[in-house]
Amino acid sequence: MAAGKVTFNGRLRVLLALAGIAGAVIALRLADIQLLRHDRYLQLAERNRTQVLYQTAPRGRIFTADGKAVAANAPSFDLYYLSAGPKEEDYLRRLAADFAPHLGVTQEDVLDKLQQGVKSGKAVALAENLSPKTAMALKELQLYYPGLYLIEENKRIYPYGIFASHLIGYLGSMEGDEWKNRDQSLDYRLDAKIGKNGLEKKFEKELKGRDGGVFLEVDYRGRVRSVIEDRRWRPGGDIYLTLNFDVQRAAEEGLKNSITGRGAAVALDPRTGAVLALATAPAFDPGMFVPYSDEPQPKSKRISEYNLATQGVYPPASTFKVITAIAAIEQGGFDPEKEVYCPGYYDAGSRVFKCWSVHKHDNFFDGMADSCDVYFYTLAAQTGSAAIEKTQRMFQFGQPTGIDLPGEKAGNLYGPTKRARNRSYWFIGDTLNLSIGQGELLVTPIKMAQFAAALASRGKIWRPYYLDRVVSNQTGKVLQQGKSEVLGTVDIRPSTWDLIYKALKHTVDDGTARRVKIAGLDVYGKTGTAQNPHGDDHGWFMAFAGRPGEEPSLAVAVFVEYGKGGAGAAGPIAREMIKAYFGIEDKPARRPVSAQQAVLENADPAALVSDMQKLQAALQRPDGEHT
Amino acid sequence: MTKYKSRLHKGMMDWLLFGAMAGLVLLGALCIMSAVNAVSLSNAVVRTHLIALPLGFVAFFAAWSFNYQIFDEQWKPLYGVILALLIGVLLFGTYQRGSKSWFVFPFFSMQPAEICRVLTILAAAAFLDRQGHRIRDMRTLVWLGVLIAPVFGLIMLQPDFSSIVITFPALLVLLYCAGVNVFYLALVFAFAAVAGFFTVAWTYLYLHPELLDYRLLDVFFKLSDHILYMGGFVLLVAVAGYAAWWLFKQLRVFLPSFYFVLATLVVLAGFFAGVFVDHQMKPYQRKRVEAFLAPESDPQGASYNVLQAQIAMGSGGILGKGLFSGTQSRLGFVPEKHTDFILAVVGEELGLWGTLLVLGLYLVILWRVAVVAYTASDRYGYLVCSGIFGMFLTYMLINFGMLIGLFPVAGIPLPFISYGGSNLVSSMLALGVVQSVYARRITSG
Repeated sequence: MAAGKVTFNGRLRVLLALAGIAGAVIALRLADIQLLRHDRYLQLAERNRTQVLYQTAPRGRIFTADGKAVAANAPSFDLYYLSAGPKEEDYLRRLAADFAPHLGVTQEDVLDKLQQGVKSGKAVALAENLSPKTAMALKELQLYYPGLYLIEENKRIYPYGIFASHLIGYLGSMEGDEWKNRDQSLDYRLDAKIGKNGLEKKFEKELKGRDGGVFLEVDYRGRVRSVIEDRRWRPGGDIYLTLNFDVQRAAEEGLKNSITGRGAAVALDPRTGAVLALATAPAFDPGMFVPYSDEPQPKSKRISEYNLATQGVYPPASTFKVITAIAAIEQGGFDPEKEVYCPGYYDAGSRVFKCWSVHKHDNFFDGMADSCDVYFYTLAAQTGSAAIEKTQRMFQFGQPTGIDLPGEKAGNLYGPTKRARNRSYWFIGDTLNLSIGQGELLVTPIKMAQFAAALASRGKIWRPYYLDRVVSNQTGKVLQQGKSEVLGTVDIRPSTWDLIYKALKHTVDDGTARRVKIAGLDVYGKTGTAQNPHGDDHGWFMAFAGRPGEEPSLAVAVFVEYGKGGAGAAGPIAREMIKAYFGIEDKPARRPVSAQQAVLENADPAALVSDMQKLQAALQRPDGEHT
Repeated sequence: MTKYKSRLHKGMMDWLLFGAMAGLVLLGALCIMSAVNAVSLSNAVVRTHLIALPLGFVAFFAAWSFNYQIFDEQWKPLYGVILALLIGVLLFGTYQRGSKSWFVFPFFSMQPAEICRVLTILAAAAFLDRQGHRIRDMRTLVWLGVLIAPVFGLIMLQPDFSSIVITFPALLVLLYCAGVNVFYLALVFAFAAVAGFFTVAWTYLYLHPELLDYRLLDVFFKLSDHILYMGGFVLLVAVAGYAAWWLFKQLRVFLPSFYFVLATLVVLAGFFAGVFVDHQMKPYQRKRVEAFLAPESDPQGASYNVLQAQIAMGSGGILGKGLFSGTQSRLGFVPEKHTDFILAVVGEELGLWGTLLVLGLYLVILWRVAVVAYTASDRYGYLVCSGIFGMFLTYMLINFGMLIGLFPVAGIPLPFISYGGSNLVSSMLALGVVQSVYARRITSG
């Protein structure tokens, strides 16, 4: 080569520039991965390296207004084998032989799982959801077998069994889309139990809490390397209901022991609309969905989710006579002392409508107290069906009560306007049927309770609410607060109310609702027997009560399906509920064996003879009868 | 031989280049130790690397003190050595991971393809240096092709595609810098593109047989192994080439007919190269192409590796988790963590600063190699530096590109950082040659 500088083409410079550009692109992409996506990738890396032995957090408790926990938690235990312990075949065999009887599985199953754990190096669950009793026995055995790990979890319990089961609901595993649609912010596990119905479902988010767990570091094949963290769980928020424990209990007991064991009972506070009792029978024990794994499993998990209290619709029967009366009084020219002669039937010209008994001369108060159909036929014929329909609308019949429960039925308003809208005719017979609450008229038990509360509060239509408050277990903060709400007001004259009160009081003191008479209380009530062409008649009872001189503080509606009569089937239940609310203890409550006996127990001797006659009739044909 | 001796004294070494290399090597050694999760020096990987490291420095200093011009003089024996090594490995080599690429000796093993890559660049540069006066002639290109074909052929027989993935672009860079006509270079590039297109398309169809329901795609797929379909394709391309020539003639655009023949031949050559590669491809290699084409289709399969590597880098953030503290690499989630995916370890443990440092040092190396190229005392020095520049540029682009999802996983290490003695030694040797060019930038007689 000759001396001197050789010159070269500039192509390498072009490439160097291109390399610089490529370097810039790479640097940008690195920044994208390592800066912008850092959080996401860090999360993925953490998920890669951790295996968690989860500990289900205690679900929030559910309390009644008087502080009884009706849904609580109990400890349950999982037994894990960590392969970091001894691995000899002989050791595993002995372990399996000793543990299998406690876990309720065969020795082979345990050995199989142990060997799986040894082979994969992963932590394996030998048993989950064990009862404390078993756990005690295992804790002792654990001393002799290193490598075993007993972990504590929480399990839902319902200390009072069927208590408010339709309101509380129950838990179950996620099925179908539930996993896909789960709340991502609540760290659910695949085997998590979630609320399936009632409050457990409605307040799932508040109740769940945050699971704890033992965090293990694992390598890419899942082999355990070390324990990173033992994270404590955080319990879910507690729910406080407006329910009164004793009233609810009395309602459930009463329904369970009623003649058919089917029905509903609702109690409201007429001053606020708060639900004091909401019972449906047949009920179920939600605890059967969350048993310990080492205890006998329930054979059948079939339950009736049908909440009769809000979803069952029936004719209100004679309880409706209050509406007829209000319509008649409000129309004017009403004389409560004017007597109507009841020969046991009403001649409507083309047809004869029967009364359930022969009442002879009845004024308004006796007509209500005896639930004389002929009196109300006469009243309705004078008043007219349109006025009765208007009064129904004032009390919002045919509309749901608006209680915050799914699937509430609206019932059915019945009247000439409705009929006309359906392009059909209205006959005098319809007016007579309407006056005693039969025909196409349909209401739910909760609607009747709302009606009773409206009477008790002199016209306030409350939206029934059962939630007092939801309280966070971490901060003590109130997460949600129940509110009382007036949906509407019935604007009628005070004198009308006075007449109605007097009549309903008379019904309890000296009429069909006599057995609900309680010493020391002002009780107002009305019985009803809904005619049922398919079988036995349904029994209704509607009442409100208060201490003398105070405004009524309890409104009750009880319904017993196929109960034959209102006074006999539903009355005693209402009586127990009222007594429970006011804390009245009389002689040990003995459930009347028959309606006859009940009347004999509660009746005063003077009225006995004349009552006997009515009673005989009542037993053959309960009130509210017509053909 | 005295002619080639030269005195080495201060100022004869590009310290920036040396510093960048030393920095990378140091960083690499630390990351390898961390990646294989052993601070103990007894670990086989760490031990091998600590032995290869001094060997690399020996190679570096030897190449530096050696006058590079000897490679120019003796390029024919050099070429012979390349062929001998490659034939030797086919005869006496050992199978590892399905390819016969290794000489196994009692105390160490070596991969001749690595050293051959550097030697090929030296030999090709010497050839092009000699063709300097007719560098724009197509015959130069053809002769170089004839020279390189046996080398590539022997490597293909191992088979070791990833080696060619580096060498081929490096040679293209060399040719470009040598001043070859860009049109011819474009043809070579087109050849590679056609071959690549057929390979990728066939692989895609191979992995998605349901697409073969379309008649046209079925015919296309059969091109790869039905002799009749192949013949048809050849005829079709020939007719198309003729038609194009005829069309241009009718349009009064006069181009030498020779261009059309050339284009036709390149397309056909690319096609047959594609057929060859397609027949040589292993299922796992097909999977890699698939993972690149549709990374979301198979999160647990081939793209799992890239995803895990990205998780490692991303979870490192700006500052990283610290050396020996990366969970992704330590717990085995990142595959090939001490070789091809070493950058993931750097990213996880040293963070963005770590990866940017590696990238920066690589750019410094490229910059210094280019600077040295322009200070070279002769054309050969310039060409050698260009080839080595091309080699490191390709390494950088493919290895970084693979991690950031711009290239399919190709099994390419990152020189100086990755574990792999042969690669380390030959890479340091290459930089030694560059230093030799620098040291002799003033003509030494």
